[in-house]
Amino acid sequence: MSRPKFVYVTYIVSTAEQVWQALTDPAITERYWYGFRVAASGRAGEHMTAIDPDGKEVHRDVILVSDPPRRLAYAWRPLYDEFKHERASRVTIDIMPLKDQVRLTVTHDDFDESSVVFEKITEGWPSVLSSLKSYLETGRALSTPVWRSASEAEMHA
Amino acid sequence: MPGQDKPKFVYVTFIRTTPEKLWSALTNPDFTRRYWFGMHHETDWKPGSSWRLLFADGQVADAGEIVEADPPKLLVIKWRNEFKPELKSEGYSRCAIEIEPVDGAVKLTITHVMDRDESKFIEAVSGGWPRILSNLKSLLETGDVVLKGRHLPGDHDER
Repeated sequence: MSRPKFVYVTYIVSTAEQVWQALTDPAITERYWYGFRVAASGRAGEHMTAIDPDGKEVHRDVILVSDPPRRLAYAWRPLYDEFKHERASRVTIDIMPLKDQVRLTVTHDDFDESSVVFEKITEGWPSVLSSLKSYLETGRALSTPVWRSASEAEMHA
Repeated sequence: MPGQDKPKFVYVTFIRTTPEKLWSALTNPDFTRRYWFGMHHETDWKPGSSWRLLFADGQVADAGEIVEADPPKLLVIKWRNEFKPELKSEGYSRCAIEIEPVDGAVKLTITHVMDRDESKFIEAVSGGWPRILSNLKSLLETGDVVLKGRHLPGDHDER
């Protein structure tokens, strides 16, 4: 069996710079990422951090690649107790400018075969990226995360 | 373990609309042309009926049969490529289109499966569905599509 890998592609009417900012600036992620503040504008070797709507830090993961506005990669190890036994996986974000839109590809891989986090992110990314697309194209994010509680389901799953 | 993982493409998108509007957007040929790169379906959407997906010029792209239709919740299509011999020879795939209301939006899930060990057809639709569904979401939410043009763009257009 191949190891779990999640890939999601979406096309957004926006610029690479705007998409980059929306993915790395906590003041913007808060608006479409269901209240989570995700800070990822540091350089490689620095940290991506995420704060949940209750103010709890739920990620402090090393940035692996930062090549604005085209490519961003960071480790992914949720700090919720139930996921703490899992080693870090890897998120790679590719932003490809096309004519008057952007192709955004999120690849989340490097999981162990039995990963529970993998199941959660498979639900989470489509929800977050749908909300991001709505936010950038219409100014309004989607309102409801698909998960029931943050601790139950990871920061975006 | 061979045989366990059949080639499969799954895509989920959340769209700010209603299940009824989304059902209509998926089945109405004039609306479909606007986000499906000029293509449209030719079918009465009844289980057992024939189904064809036509290019803008009328050429048949794909064909098959409606397996299930439960508006505005579920469509299942028996689906075979008709215009590329190497894809047509793979035979029929199964495409399930599920619509679920969530608070303030609709969850749309496409599950496209081929009952073979390997499938070029599933590789091909894996590139197409994100474009079509990104366009559909934009069209329903903003009144305009993302990717314009009459033809489904290939990856070579973008690299």
